[in-house]
Amino acid sequence: MPDVDVIVVGAGPAGAAAALEAARAGRSVVLIERGPFPGSKNMYGGVVYGRILDDLVPQWWEQMPIQRWVTRRQTMILTDDQALTVDYRTENWGRPPYNGATTFRPDFDAWFAERAVDAGANLINSTTVTGLLRDGNRVVGVRTDRPDGDLTAHVVIACDGVNSFLAKEAGLYHHDGAENYTLGVKETIALPRDVIDERFNVRGDHGVDIEMLGASPDVPGGGFLYTNAESLAVGLVLSLPALAASGLRPEERIAQLKAHPAIAPLVEGGEVKEYSAHVIPEAGFDMMPELIADGLLVAGDAAAMCLAAGIWLEGVNFAIGSGAAAGRAAAVAVRHGDTSATGLEGYRARLESSFVLADHRKLRDAPHLVMSDLAQQRLPALACGVVEQLFTVGNPVPKPGLRRIVRGEMKRNGVKLRDAAAQGWRALRTFG
Amino acid sequence: MSAPDPSTTVDPSTTVRPTRAVVACVKFTTILPEVDPLDGGVDPDVRRAGLSESDLAAVEVALRLGVDHGVPVVAVSVGGADADPSLVELLATGVARAVRVDTEGAPSATVAGLIASALHDRRIDAVAVVCGDYSSDGGSGSVPAFLAHELGMAQALGLIEIEVEVPGSLRVVRRLDGARREVVSLQLPAVVSVEGGVADLRRAPLAALLAARPGDIEVVPGGSTVHLEPARQRPWRPRSRVVPAPQGEHALDRIVALTGALVERTPPRTIELPPAEAAQAILDQLAVWGYVDDERPGTTDAPTPDAVERSDTPPLLG
Ligand SMILES: Cc1cc2nc3c(=O)[nH]c(=O)nc-3n(C[C@H](O)[C@H](O)[C@H](O)COP(=O)(O)OP(=O)(O)OC[C@H]3O[C@@H](n4cnc5c(N)ncnc54)[C@H](O)[C@@H]3O)c2cc1C
Repeated sequence: MPDVDVIVVGAGPAGAAAALEAARAGRSVVLIERGPFPGSKNMYGGVVYGRILDDLVPQWWEQMPIQRWVTRRQTMILTDDQALTVDYRTENWGRPPYNGATTFRPDFDAWFAERAVDAGANLINSTTVTGLLRDGNRVVGVRTDRPDGDLTAHVVIACDGVNSFLAKEAGLYHHDGAENYTLGVKETIALPRDVIDERFNVRGDHGVDIEMLGASPDVPGGGFLYTNAESLAVGLVLSLPALAASGLRPEERIAQLKAHPAIAPLVEGGEVKEYSAHVIPEAGFDMMPELIADGLLVAGDAAAMCLAAGIWLEGVNFAIGSGAAAGRAAAVAVRHGDTSATGLEGYRARLESSFVLADHRKLRDAPHLVMSDLAQQRLPALACGVVEQLFTVGNPVPKPGLRRIVRGEMKRNGVKLRDAAAQGWRALRTFG
Repeated sequence: MSAPDPSTTVDPSTTVRPTRAVVACVKFTTILPEVDPLDGGVDPDVRRAGLSESDLAAVEVALRLGVDHGVPVVAVSVGGADADPSLVELLATGVARAVRVDTEGAPSATVAGLIASALHDRRIDAVAVVCGDYSSDGGSGSVPAFLAHELGMAQALGLIEIEVEVPGSLRVVRRLDGARREVVSLQLPAVVSVEGGVADLRRAPLAALLAARPGDIEVVPGGSTVHLEPARQRPWRPRSRVVPAPQGEHALDRIVALTGALVERTPPRTIELPPAEAAQAILDQLAVWGYVDDERPGTTDAPTPDAVERSDTPPLLG
C-alpha cells in the first residue's frame, strides 16, 4: 500500500488546485513545496483572472488577497518614439463577479494553498522533490531532499512549474528547445497610492493592465505594466535565443522600456523595490509534453499550459484549470483502482472539454504570429506611422487620403501587401 | 515569579515520577521583517516568522545533549498559536515533547517564570536547559539568566562552542568583548544560551513531518496572574540620543564635528579588577553617565576611569 493516495509536487496555482480537488474528493493528499511557504519563490506579471475560481472557492472575491481590480485595459503599440494605445475601461470589472485582479504571488499562492489545506491536504513546505520513484515504467512516488525522504502514492501530479524536471525525468517532453521559451523580467516600483490613482486615472481599488507590443527593439517579445495598490509592475517577455544573441542584459532592456516617452511619465519618481525573472513556456500547445503516464499527471506550466499570445498573458488561470482537472481525474482513478495511464485518461478528457486545451489548440499559432518580425517591428511602425500621418496637420498641403498614407507607410516599413494579407489571414484564423 | 516549591504544592502531577530531560527554550518571532526605509515602519509578515538561528541551534544542541545523557528533549515556548507549526516541525526533528505556554507579550522575567512553572507542573526534571542567545526581535537575551535564577541553576550564556566532557559536565566557550574567549567547565544541571553558529538544526525526516500534528503540542494556559507589559505601540528601536548642534563656520567643519573625527577624545580603556570591584566600577560609571542614580548606597567616591578622563577632556562636540 502506498503512503498516500495523491502526491502533488509544487504549491503554485496548479498544485494548490490539484490538491484542493483531490482532497475534496476524499483522497489523502500530500502537497510538497520547496519554498518556505507557497508563493515564496514565485513571480509573474501580476493579473489573476478569477472566473476559474468560481467553482473552486465560491465568492472568492470576498477572500482573495488582491491589490487592485483591473477595470482599465490598454493595448499599446510602441516604436522607439511613438505609442498607439487602445484603451478600454468598464465599471463591470470592478464589481462582483469581477474579471481580473492584480495580486502578489506570495499572497495569492499562500491563500489558495490554504484552501487545499482546509480541504484536508497535508502541505509540506521547505521540501524539494528531487526525483520520481518508479516500479518499472510506473511512477509510484517521489524522492525528496529530506532524510528518510521517499514517499509513495497511487498518483503523482507534477505541478513543479516551467522546465519541469519531473516531466522531463519521466521522458514526457519532446519539444523543449530554447526557442520555445521566453524570459519574463519584471521590476516592482513603489509609488504612493494617490500618485498611481492620478497617473492612471483610477480610484479606490481599481487598476490598470497595459500590454505592449514592440516594447523591446530587436528582441521579439512583449511588455506589460500593471498597477498594484502602492506599486507598479513593469516588465518584458523576451525570446530567449534572441535575447542571448542581442548581448543586452534583461535589466538594460527594462531600463530602455522605462525610458520610453510613453512609459517614463508613468514610472517617474518610483523606487525599484524588486527585480525578478522567470522562464515562460511560450510555445504553448506546440511544446506541450505528454500529459499522462502510468501513475503520473502533469499540469500547469509544467505542462507548458501558459497562454502567451501577444495581447494575452494568462498562465495562472490555465494552471488552476489544469490542476483542478488533474486532481479530479486522479481522485476518480484512485477510487476505481486503476491509476495506469489508461485509468488516468479522464484528465485529458477534462482538459479537452474545458478552456484549457480548447484555447491552447485554437491559439496554437498565436505565439509564432506574435513573435514574428512582421508583428514585432514592422506592423507597429506601420500602425504608428499611419496614425501620425493621419493626425499631422500639414497645411497648406491638403490632407492626404488614407490609402496613400497606408501605401507610403507600408513601403517605408518594408511591408508587402502579400505578407500583410497572409499575416492578416493567419491572424483571422487564429484569433477569429 | 518563582517556581512553587514541589514539597508544598498539592498537585496531582506530583504523583507522577519526574521525567529527566534536556529542555530547549524557543521563541517564535519575526525573522525577516520588512522595514520601510522612509518611516521605519516594520511589517512583521507572519509567513516570514519562525525560530531564530540561535533558537534552532539551541534545539540541535539539546538533541545532542539528550543523546549524550540518554534522556529525551522537551521544547518549551512561551507565545501564541502562531508558533505551533514551528513546534510541530521540532517534534519531527526528534524533540520528544513540545510545550507551549499560551500567552503573548510577557516580559523576560515573566517568561522565565512561566517556563519554570511549566517544567515543574509537568514534572520535567531538567538535566540542562538550552536557549538561543537572544531573540531576533530586539530581545535583551535576559530570559536564560532569569530562568537560571528561577531554576536555581548555574548559567553560561552566549556560547560559541559546547561539548560534553563526560556526561554531567560540559566544556563551553563564551564570546567576550575584544574578540576574546572564555573557556568554562560547567557542571550540569545548568542553563546555557548559544549563538546561532554553534550548530545547524538537523532537517526533520519526511515521514516524521507527515506524522507530526499540531494536536501533539501540549498547550498550557499562560494564566491570568501573568503580569503583561503594555503592548508596544511602535516597533522596537534603540533610544535616540540628543546631540548638540555642531559648531563650525563652514559646512565641512560642521560635518567633521558631527562625525567626531579629528576631535581629541579619550580612547576606551580596559581595566582589570576583582569581580566585586568591577561591578562597582560599572555602577559608578553608569552613574557618571546618568543612567543610574548616584545617590545609591555604596557609591564610592573613587573616580571612575572615565570620570577621571572626562574631567579634563573638553566635551566631544561644541
Ligand atoms: C514575467 C511573467 C509574467 C506573467 N504574468 C502573468 C499574468 O499577469 N497573469 C497570469 O495569469 N499569468 C502570468 N504569468 C504566467 C504564470 O506565472 C504561470 O503560468 C503560473 O504561475 C503557472 O502556475 P504553476 O502552478 O503551473 O507553476 P508555478 O507558479 O511556477 O508554481 C510551481 C511551484 O512548484 C514549486 N516547485 C518547483 N519545483 C519543485 C520541486 N522539485 N519540489 C517542490 N516544489 C517545487 C515552486 O516553488 C512553485 O511554488 C507570467 C509569467 C511570467 C514569468
